[in-house]
Amino acid sequence: MPLKRILTERETWRGVLVILGLSFMLSAVVNFGLIKRFMAGEFRQAFVSPDRHPGLVFVSLAETEDLWHSGLAVFIDSRAAADFARGHIPGAISVPLEEIKRGNLSLLEKIPRDRPLVIYCEGGDCQTSLLLAEFLSEQGYRDLRVFSGGWTEWTGTGMPVSGEDEKPGK
Amino acid sequence: MKNLVNNKLILLLLRIVVGGIFILAAVTKIADPLSFARDVKNYRLVGQTLSFFTAITLPWIELVAGVFLIAGFFPRSSALVVSGLLVFFILLVTVTIIRGIDVTCGCFGTFSRKADLWLIFEDTVWLVMAMVLLLSPGNDFCLLKRSRKQ
Repeated sequence: MPLKRILTERETWRGVLVILGLSFMLSAVVNFGLIKRFMAGEFRQAFVSPDRHPGLVFVSLAETEDLWHSGLAVFIDSRAAADFARGHIPGAISVPLEEIKRGNLSLLEKIPRDRPLVIYCEGGDCQTSLLLAEFLSEQGYRDLRVFSGGWTEWTGTGMPVSGEDEKPGK
Repeated sequence: MKNLVNNKLILLLLRIVVGGIFILAAVTKIADPLSFARDVKNYRLVGQTLSFFTAITLPWIELVAGVFLIAGFFPRSSALVVSGLLVFFILLVTVTIIRGIDVTCGCFGTFSRKADLWLIFEDTVWLVMAMVLLLSPGNDFCLLKRSRKQ
């Protein structure tokens, strides 16, 4: 049957409408709770559910600076080891997400469970910090703060970088 | 070739395979809508709100179209929806590669792979199968027969 005829047949489009209508209806019913939460402002910063990842929050540059100066938090760099070697936030621990994905879980031994963790990656649209935070949440870590501005925002404001004497968490 | 494409058992098998892969793809995404929403957003074409609504509706369209295709309920329309989605996916991945964006496709939830040239090839194979179903005059094993049999 020629495509042109299929596309001009009323029955074809009636079927398409039924498929779309049913899909929208099912989606609205099943996701009613999720839609309500989205409309209330949840998931606006990121698609992370507090039910699944309790204790995971996003922090701004100012909050990150405060945490760094206070020395209370441990900073985790989720970028590749080569990026970390080129430069990182002073005192940060390198836990590349790619290593974790490869099954190198011994890296987790370096991360204390009783202190706030600030996790960062390159910045912009980078995802590794959030993915690492979710993984750590699944491992039982409960104070996870993702610094979404990342390395780009940190260096952009002239904050100290690796090699500085001042180290947080000491 | 024409006989092969008109063979009712082959057409039924194609319906099961294409419908089945759409159902599988849909179920993996329906299981974790927020994770799929992030995949959608990573394509950097739409913002947070549109990513969210795409992520909660698209898998249901895949599911309903897949089930309809196998059951033979509006067979022509479901083949059209499946073909349309595949054309959209191929265009999306092409544009993403041209823009140099490195993303996982989000096609099968956690089991997704990178959006690359191989994915375009895979989707094209699915599209050919879906187009055979769309254009074939076959009308067997369908719950809702086509109004005009060729």
